[in-house]
This record gives sequence, C-alpha cells and structure tokens, in this order.
Amino acid sequence: MRRLNRAMSMLTGRELILLAACVVITIAFASASPVFATPENAATIMRNSVELLLIGLGMTLLLAMGGIDVSIGVVMGLSAIAVGRALGADLDPALAAVIGPLTGALLGLVTAAVVVLGRIPAIVGTLGLLGIYRTAIFVVLGGQWLSGLPTGLTEMLGTGLAGVPLSFWMIALAYLAVWLALRRTPFGLHLLAIGNSEEKARLSGISVIKVRFAAFVISGMLAGLAATFYVATYRNVEMSTGSTLALDAIAAVVLGGTSILGGRCSLVGTVLGVLLLRILQNGLLLIGVPSLWQTVVTGGLLIAVLSLEVLAGRLSFSKLGWASR
Amino acid sequence: MSEAFLIAKGIAKRFGGLTALSDVDLEIRAGEVLALLGDNGAGKSTFIKVLAGAHPPSEGQILVAGQPVSFASPKDAAASGIATIFQELALSENLSISENVYLGRELKQSVLGVPFLRRKEMKQRVAELLKELDAHISDPEAPVGSLSGGQRQSVAICRALNLNAKLVIMDEPTAALAVAETRKVLALIRKLAERGCAVVLISHNISDVFEVADRMVVFRRGRKVAERLRAETEPEEIVALITGAHPDVRALEKAQ
Repeated sequence: MRRLNRAMSMLTGRELILLAACVVITIAFASASPVFATPENAATIMRNSVELLLIGLGMTLLLAMGGIDVSIGVVMGLSAIAVGRALGADLDPALAAVIGPLTGALLGLVTAAVVVLGRIPAIVGTLGLLGIYRTAIFVVLGGQWLSGLPTGLTEMLGTGLAGVPLSFWMIALAYLAVWLALRRTPFGLHLLAIGNSEEKARLSGISVIKVRFAAFVISGMLAGLAATFYVATYRNVEMSTGSTLALDAIAAVVLGGTSILGGRCSLVGTVLGVLLLRILQNGLLLIGVPSLWQTVVTGGLLIAVLSLEVLAGRLSFSKLGWASR
Repeated sequence: MSEAFLIAKGIAKRFGGLTALSDVDLEIRAGEVLALLGDNGAGKSTFIKVLAGAHPPSEGQILVAGQPVSFASPKDAAASGIATIFQELALSENLSISENVYLGRELKQSVLGVPFLRRKEMKQRVAELLKELDAHISDPEAPVGSLSGGQRQSVAICRALNLNAKLVIMDEPTAALAVAETRKVLALIRKLAERGCAVVLISHNISDVFEVADRMVVFRRGRKVAERLRAETEPEEIVALITGAHPDVRALEKAQ
C-alpha cells in the first residue's frame, strides 16, 4: 500500500484523473459487454495502442516546443509502404525493420525543412505536406493494397526475450530514450524553452533551428518505427493507413496534459491519454457503436479538453490573435 | 577605484540620416556602479546597445581591458565579459531557476556520446550564487514563473554572474517593481559591484540612482553633457542637467 502511495504521489493531478477515467470506463464497458473484460480483448487494446503510443511520444515533443505535425499519420503510412516493399522484395526482416524508422526520419527531415527553414507555422506547413503525402501514397500503391506480405518481420518481433516479446522491449526502449532526451539532456530544456518563447530561447543562446530540426526528425523516426510494428501486425498497407493517427495522437497528448501551445508536457500523461482513447474506442465498438463514430468521439474529446483548459484559465489563445477569428 | 574595465572613445551611431549618438567618451571601472540618465531619446539606450554588441557603432572605438574590440553580436560582447539584462528579462517562465541560470550553456557529462545534464552540480552552484547574492530564494528548483519581479531580476543577475560577466548592463531594472522589491534589487546591484563587477544602469528614478550609483552620466540629444560623482552632486542638479535647464548644458548647446 505504501508503495502504491509513493507511486501515486509521482503522478500529477491530471495524470491521476486520467488513470481514474481509465478505470471508470473499463468498469462501465465491462458491465455493458461480456467480451470487453477478457484477456483477449485486453491484448487487442494493447496491440492497437502501439502505433499511437510511439507517434504520441513524438507528438509530445513537438507540442512541447510549440510545434505540431498533422501529417504524421500519413508519414507512418508512407514508411509502412517502404517496410512492406522491403519485405515483399524478400529483404532480411531485421533490415526491413530498420527501413521504417529510416524512412520516417527522412520524412521528418523534409517536414523540418518546410516548417523550420520555410518559417511557416507548423500546423499550416504540415497540412500542406498531408495533402501531398496522401496523393503520394495513392500513387505509390497504384490504387491497390499491399497485402499478403511475408511473415518474417512478424515472427522476429514476436520472439521472446526474457519471456516478453521483443516488440515490448523496443517500445519500452523508445519510451526511455524519449524520456531521457526530454528530462535529462540540454535538448529537453531547449525544447521547453522554445515552447515557452522562441525569442527568449534565442536570446539565451539556444540554437533554435537545430533543436526544432531534431524534434521533427525524432518525431518522424518514431512514426517510422510505428510503421514497422504496423506492418508486422497487419502484413498489409492500404490507402488510408494512418489517416486518423494524427488526430488520435494530438487528442491523446493533449488529454495527457501537454500544452497545445508548448512549454509544458507529460510523457506519462501521453501514455495514459493513449490508453484512455484506445479503451474508449474499443469499448464503444463492443457495445455496438459503429466505427464511423470513432473520429467523432476523438475530435469531440479534443475540443472538450481544450475548452475546459481555456475555461480553467490554463490555456489562452488570445495572445495569438486566434480568439476573435 | 581601479583602472577602467571598458573605455569608449568618440562613439557615434547614425541610423540613416538620424544621429542617435555623437562623440561619446566614457570609462567604466571595475567595482563601480555607473548610472546613465537622460530623457527619452537622449541616446542612453542606443549607447548600451552599442556596448552590448546589439548595434555596431558608426564611429569610435571600444577598449575592453585595454584591448580594442569590435562586437558583431551580443555573443561577442558576452565573450568579452559583458552581459546585458534587458527590461523584458529573457527568462523561460516554465523552467526552474537553476535551468534558467544555465540555459544555453548547461553543465554536461557525456555518456556513450549522449550529453546528460549534471543537474546536481548546476543546482548546487545556483544555490551558492543565490546565497552569495543574499537573494532570499530558497529553492533553486522553483519554476521562474512562480517568482516575483524582483526575484526574477535576481535570477537574471545570477545568470549574468554565472557567465563570468565583468560588466553587467541593466536597463531599468526597477521600473516594474514594488517598493520592497526595488530595495532588494538595489541591494543586489551594490553586491554585484562589491564582487568587483562593473555595473551600468539605466534608470529614470533619480532617488534609486542616488542610492546605488557611484557615478552618473547625463545624456542629452545624443551627447554626453555631464558626468558627476554622487558625492559631488544633488538630485536637483541632475534633474537640471537632464532637462537642459542647467547653465553648463545651456552653454554647451549654445556653443554648438
């Protein structure tokens, strides 16, 4: 009990509320659906959370510095095509696995070039890229699904290491790496300083361009890693792969207590936000709500959380001149 | 008083056809607080921007510790030991005091090529600095956003000290502060000077200036019109110099 108390005291109020919300909806869905509270369904929820968690970690970094990437889901889609093509060409699964993060990092570099060098607001710059990448996916796939991919990658990531699948270790490692970068290196401080005020960060001698580039590349790389897991799980890639992930990720990260305006973030909050969102989506499906409504729930949740933060005085868009528009 | 840390000779600054500064000579000594006074547009802000490396002078020369220097940016000035604390303090409210003091030049330790922060050492050093300055801030881990205006000035001063600044330039450090806070910042400025730092201070508050400055320089219409030791002048004289009512200034302006 004491250990539990100590663990709880490490969480902020926001994170405790999220944890409580996860418990409450789990109980509610369990009583409404006989299938919900089964080990198989728990595994499904975990499985469905993997890509969102990885992309959410990157999105947390981006939001922390006052950035955003609405094209990140499609970046995962493009990276998934690269991994799928590599597998289809009978490349070694280990190599195919690396191609995901590599493609993602490369696309992150493109995003950074557009947004940082072009000095365009990230939300607009990445919206432009979203449009371009969507058609790129269509063209690359030639209007057809990439399916029936070899099982090599799936088997490799399913291999046990100390009784736990390799995929779990890789995700834990990714979380640890992002946490260390954010909380234990100058990069994390600089990211938060830029999120607070780019001008002040510059006056403090921070190389703003370098830090912003690094954040976009890391975020792209995590989306690429998500692509590797996606292909390993589903062994197919289609036109709409990843198309709702940017919305899901922004909603989960904002739910977790990261400020949409930058300067404040929580990685634990992101994990809880991802879980809450995926439990909610899974439960709604099981009690018979059509999947069409999922994005309605996610979008509504995002708007509701932001409105509550504005009402609570934690967030103000007025200095951006957005309030009156 | 020791020898001059910084000597400015014949400094002029023109923006297109507008002359903001002309022919300013000034010496700044280690361990002294020098106040720059003058009406709005008198040229004192332009002058400190030249010293801070934010504006290159159109004419004239700056010597630091006897060596001629030319600053292309505030970074160059910082490398010569000149730190500027602007009115809108460049502090990150979401970061802690110690993070702010070290921001941009953190103490690091490389593990497998990854630069990890040496948080404990940074915290310790900042706690020492705060104690030395008698800043009355107990926790170097407190976020700067939770501090009062005066405490933020202390953090900015800590940052300057930690950069090994030998000359600290402060633009209206007490402008937005309550009375008790103002007293604290003035005491801090004296402390800086006692440590052997030279301090250049812009202020509109004559009583603050008389409390803290050793020497006062009055600017008027882009020129230095007077220089007084505190012991040799009165607030009335300084006000007359600033407004141009003083006979010395009249004579000077007639001569031009």
